[in-house]
Amino acid sequence: MEKPCTLLVHFDKGTPAMANEIKEALEGSDVAAKVDAMKRAIMLLLNGETLPQLFITIVRYVLPSEDHTVQKLLLIYLEIIDKTDARGRVLPEMILICQNLLNNLQHANEYIRGVTLRFLCRISEPEILEPLIPSVLTNLEHRHPFIRRNALLAISSIYRLPNGEQLLPDAPELVEKALGSEQDASARRNAFLMLCNCSQDRAVAYLLSNADRVPEWPDLLQMAVVDLIRKVCRANRPDKGRHIKIIISLLNSPSTAVVYECAGALVSLSSAPTAVRAAANTYCQLLSSQSDNNVRLIILDRLNELRKSHREVMSEVVMDVLRALSSPNPDVRRKVLDIVLDLVSTKNVDEVVLFLKKEVVKTQAAGESDKDAGGEYRQMLVQAIHACTIKFPEVAGSVVHVLMDFLGDSNVASAIDVVIFVREIIETNPKLRVSMIQRLIDTFYQIRAARVCSCALWILGEYSLSLSEVEAAISTIKQCLGELPFYSATEDAEPTTDSTKQPHAVSSATTSSRRPVVLADGTYATQSAASETAGVAPSVLPGSLSSIPNLRSLILSGDFFLAAVVASTLTKLVLRLEEVQPAQAETNKACSAALLVMVSMLQFGQSGFAPHPIDDDSYDRIVLCVRLLCNTGDEVRKVWLESCRQSFAKMLAEKQFRETEELRAKAQISHAQPDDLIDFYHLKSRKGMSQLELEDEVHDDLKRATGEFTKDADDASRLNRILQLTGFSDPVYAEAYVTVHHYDIVLDVTIINRTKETLQNLCLELATMGDLKLVDRPQNYTLAPESSRQIKANIKVSSTETGVIFGNIVYETSNVMERNVVVLNDIHIDIMDYISPATCADVTFRNMWAEFEWENKVAVSTVIQDEKEFLEHIIKSTNMKCLTPPSALEGDCGFLAANLYAKSVFGEDALVNISVEKQADGKLSGYIRIRSKTQGIALSLGDKITLKQKGGDH
Amino acid sequence: MVVLAASVLTKTGKVLVSRQFVNMPRIRIEGLLAAFPKLVGTGKQHTYVETENVRYVYQPIEALYIILVTNKQSNILEDLDTLRLLAKVVPEYAPSLDEEGISEMAFEIIFAFDECLSLGNKENLTVAQVRQYCEMESHEEKLHKLVLQSKMNEAKDVMKRKATEIEKSKIEKGKFQTSGYSSISGPRRSDSGFSDINISSGGSGFGSGSGFGLNADSIDSFSSKSKDRPAASAKAPPKGLGMQLGKKTQKTNQFLESLKAEGEVIIEDVQPSAVQSKSVLPPTDPITVTIEERLNIIVERNGGLRNFDLQGTLSLQILNQDDGFIQLQIENRDMPGLSFKTHPNINKDLFNSQQVLGLKDPNRPFPTGQNDVGLMKWRIQKMDESSLPLTVNCWPSVSGNDTYVNIEYEASDLFDLQNVVISVPLPALRDPPTVNQIDGEWRYDARNSSLEWSILLIDHSNRSGSMEFVVPPADASAFFPISIKFAASSTYSDVKVGSINSLKGGNVPKFSQRVQLITDSYQVV
Repeated sequence: MEKPCTLLVHFDKGTPAMANEIKEALEGSDVAAKVDAMKRAIMLLLNGETLPQLFITIVRYVLPSEDHTVQKLLLIYLEIIDKTDARGRVLPEMILICQNLLNNLQHANEYIRGVTLRFLCRISEPEILEPLIPSVLTNLEHRHPFIRRNALLAISSIYRLPNGEQLLPDAPELVEKALGSEQDASARRNAFLMLCNCSQDRAVAYLLSNADRVPEWPDLLQMAVVDLIRKVCRANRPDKGRHIKIIISLLNSPSTAVVYECAGALVSLSSAPTAVRAAANTYCQLLSSQSDNNVRLIILDRLNELRKSHREVMSEVVMDVLRALSSPNPDVRRKVLDIVLDLVSTKNVDEVVLFLKKEVVKTQAAGESDKDAGGEYRQMLVQAIHACTIKFPEVAGSVVHVLMDFLGDSNVASAIDVVIFVREIIETNPKLRVSMIQRLIDTFYQIRAARVCSCALWILGEYSLSLSEVEAAISTIKQCLGELPFYSATEDAEPTTDSTKQPHAVSSATTSSRRPVVLADGTYATQSAASETAGVAPSVLPGSLSSIPNLRSLILSGDFFLAAVVASTLTKLVLRLEEVQPAQAETNKACSAALLVMVSMLQFGQSGFAPHPIDDDSYDRIVLCVRLLCNTGDEVRKVWLESCRQSFAKMLAEKQFRETEELRAKAQISHAQPDDLIDFYHLKSRKGMSQLELEDEVHDDLKRATGEFTKDADDASRLNRILQLTGFSDPVYAEAYVTVHHYDIVLDVTIINRTKETLQNLCLELATMGDLKLVDRPQNYTLAPESSRQIKANIKVSSTETGVIFGNIVYETSNVMERNVVVLNDIHIDIMDYISPATCADVTFRNMWAEFEWENKVAVSTVIQDEKEFLEHIIKSTNMKCLTPPSALEGDCGFLAANLYAKSVFGEDALVNISVEKQADGKLSGYIRIRSKTQGIALSLGDKITLKQKGGDH
Repeated sequence: MVVLAASVLTKTGKVLVSRQFVNMPRIRIEGLLAAFPKLVGTGKQHTYVETENVRYVYQPIEALYIILVTNKQSNILEDLDTLRLLAKVVPEYAPSLDEEGISEMAFEIIFAFDECLSLGNKENLTVAQVRQYCEMESHEEKLHKLVLQSKMNEAKDVMKRKATEIEKSKIEKGKFQTSGYSSISGPRRSDSGFSDINISSGGSGFGSGSGFGLNADSIDSFSSKSKDRPAASAKAPPKGLGMQLGKKTQKTNQFLESLKAEGEVIIEDVQPSAVQSKSVLPPTDPITVTIEERLNIIVERNGGLRNFDLQGTLSLQILNQDDGFIQLQIENRDMPGLSFKTHPNINKDLFNSQQVLGLKDPNRPFPTGQNDVGLMKWRIQKMDESSLPLTVNCWPSVSGNDTYVNIEYEASDLFDLQNVVISVPLPALRDPPTVNQIDGEWRYDARNSSLEWSILLIDHSNRSGSMEFVVPPADASAFFPISIKFAASSTYSDVKVGSINSLKGGNVPKFSQRVQLITDSYQVV
């Protein structure tokens, strides 16, 4: 273990303090100058200087000072200096400070005593502590609580030193005695903690003998009690009941911190449903009583943990958890919904959905005040309800109508969620179809967003089956389109533009006509949705266009994709009408009306009045619809009326399949390991066995947090990372293995003297490029002939970036006084060590994509011929995750687009989009775009991809 | 439930101050703090971030973040409380809440952090309390300083008084020498000064300078207390007296030095226990003369005298003032190296010529009361081994699994010794040692792990004796140092009061004398 670091102070290198200046100031009698000099000395020490000459000055001139600040600074100074030599023995001069410490421990000022006692806690050299122990013990009886508190702390930490029992053989008795007579809360806590750590039996005995009074104890002490119980119950379980009783009594403590801790302890003590229930209830109470978001979020985390291990119990408190939705914080709400959704079961689904429904209605009422937050929240709720209904389709009926009111919501995202929800329900719940269609027709005119419109149109087209429905649908659409034509003939003033555009449109239509994918609107729409909504929504000006029917305003603003959807919907409806309408005349009338609409849309698109001319795809599609209506055939009819719906059903089925697959994968994980213990239900219940693991977890948690806990990779893999730094014929041979931890890089450098001479002042000088920083200053070594030495260098990393470490070895030989230099091979730090695959939702990906400033565009240049193979290759070489679902990548269409995502250990996001197309000659072309918030990632990842994309050879 | 570190960072991520409460290497804490700014998102309504291993709870204040780094199991409610406290404390100390402000007061902030979190455990404090703790204003210290100051003043006063007195006595002495005879004024004043000096010099052995208005009783309790303490703490100055004491003793020393220079008899190394052992029997005779010789002897275990020091005193106790006008006729054996010193108020010429102890001013009585008044001191040094009253030989020998220890004593013919106790230290034993043979009695003191061999009286019938005991094997050096105590009713110098003359004429009051030779310390090392 490295030397612990107790404090950090920002050190401004602009004002270098010279050691002799400090020395002078220390020797002077001016207290203020002395304080200042001490501060500077400490800062220098923290900055890596050693200042050995200063020690004696300090002993001579600072030790006797009576000023309190000087004394305190002195303690800090003593805290950070090296008190041992290289072999771990205490330096002889340290004895000089003992007398001063002793005086401080007997000082008339209680604070000096206290601070000194606290300082002793940080000392681990028994040689220094030994002479002080009697004084520490006498301070235990001092009448000032400040001293007693710290004396107890000091005793505790001395006793816990490796040889502490020998230094303070009777410490537990003394502390127990002190605890019995102590009044000060903090001192009692310290005493109790000392017993917990050093003599658990005594602590337990004390606790049990005072069990009745525990609820009256101060909260600090109660915390310690809970901690002890958690520890003790791991070892001896027979009297667990008594401990649990204490915990239960503490659940009513006025201090919320204690209550929170108790709940945690309960879970770790027992996995019996009663205990878990009590804990869950306590958490829920805290959840509602605490208004701090931090607390709520963390409590929700705890509940979430409970959910994983004790589902049954948690599903009982679902409603209590749900109440936390009243918090205005979106993070809290999201977490609540996450927990609740997972716990929904047949028993509580009605209640939950009812509650959610109420919440939705509430947002409508209160939504005016803060539209943004309300809309976001509504979207969350809609998604939650959606998820519930997927699991339990029977509840859909009760909510879907309420939700359909929100189709016209001004928050596009939540409206989209609603419409997607409706689309899914109408397919999976045939019973609800009739009423839903009716409702949709009624509310259609309210829909403002193009995406929602197109989806709603699709629903109308697919699911209007009966004669009345079809007719109503057609008339609604017509109404929404308003009077035809879209522009009056007098406005058509510029026929020239029209004629020039025509040939162009035709030619591009032919080139793009080989894309069959345009037809399916589901998957394709989700791909291009971001640009769609982003591009169109702002151009809808609700104020100026509100009087105009919605479809008309959208189309007039230039949304020809919507026009195409309208055309195909009308086509579908007319085709259906032909089937259900007995009167041929009516059908023909409808058909001609539809044709008129399509033609006028085309005309508008090619006139100069649209903001931009109609795009080829939409044009193509509308023309196709026109052709179809003019010339129908059975084959086409079947495609339009059945296949479309079938493929939708297939998509839903696939989605469901994927979900169950994921669920199964999750379930797989929690299955027993081959070497797990097998529980024989009839022999012994394992209820309550978990605390052992849990306790270890607590322990490890602290260790991990302080960085003590590092998993040692096996040596074999370590050897793979050896880097040769100098040549074999150099006088000094050096090689290093590079270990990359999270925030730091450790270089283990082996240096071998290959000459027959002694190398003096040998120094490994390293320099870094990129966001790397050397922690230690290089030191000089002397290397005997043909001997070797290990040098460790720590390098701090503060962001994900490819870094380079370069350097040289400098040394002197005995006869020549000049310095020799051997330049080292560069060490490249790989960005791949810092990023790991991660997932995020499509929406967040798109938001980040739009938001991030740095983009690095890499042209594809590879020998790989197959798009998918190329994608695999990139994924493998960049260690990222592909967000695009595999189904979207299926098929052999000659082009491919996929999104990759990864996160760095520093929490930075790395986004990659790959778009490749197969050229006629079989080569792949296209671009890989990398976006990130910081330049480092974009550049480094780009370099990495450029380097690796070639592929093929390995 | 422990906070790992409390830190103050700028919004840009520069670490200004960080105090760690748990042992962690520097690279770790720097890494944690460097990662923090990247983890803090914007637009969040909560102020904590969790990573794989740690949790940061933070609070933005102007251009700064105040951060607590905790483990993930930490109690968030407590941590938030602590953070709130810190957020109140930091502005108290920093003149401005930015980089300069914090850097300027970095150490003060660290001190405050230390108070808010004692080794990572939460303390229930208010800002005012933290401030109070950091200011370190101590009522007790002030009191202590006041006491010291007053003591110092008092000492100065005494010194002045002494100085003038000595001046005066010098002048008077000069007068006396020139004019032959003259009266001494103010007997009472000289009396009080007399006893003062004795006691103050005794007290100074403790370095406490407590020679002011203390009576013998308090010194008694004082010294016994210090004896009861464990050895380590005895080294230290007694409780309640701070480090200023060095100066104090120095002052007292100076004071004493100056007195000495002016011809005052001051024996600085008078043992405090001398005071203790004086309280023997309340005297019944109107005049009691106590003659006492104290021995300090160190003998090498294989023969040879390392140190021999004998100090004798003659003191007088007079119950009634009427009996105070007397002179004492002294008798003594003539010995080499024996020299007497008399109290300054004693007429030296008279003593030198006739061996009569009398006051310079014959019109003054000797001080009266229950206290002994020292009149004369003497010393004997450089004696040889043969003149020791008692010699002890100790022969440990290992045989098989036991160590046999043979001890024998030999007493000189000169003295009859009473209450002889020879204590032999033993190695740590489980059971008392087996004593095979003994002249006298033995006792095993388990606490001090020593064997005490006591002989009530050594006279011509038993000038030598021996004992043998058996203990488990031990190194020979374990049985040393042997310490010996005894008392005798005759002295080396054989000082005696032959007779008492009354100056006022009339009946010579009845007097008794107690003659004693006792050991202060007698060790065989």
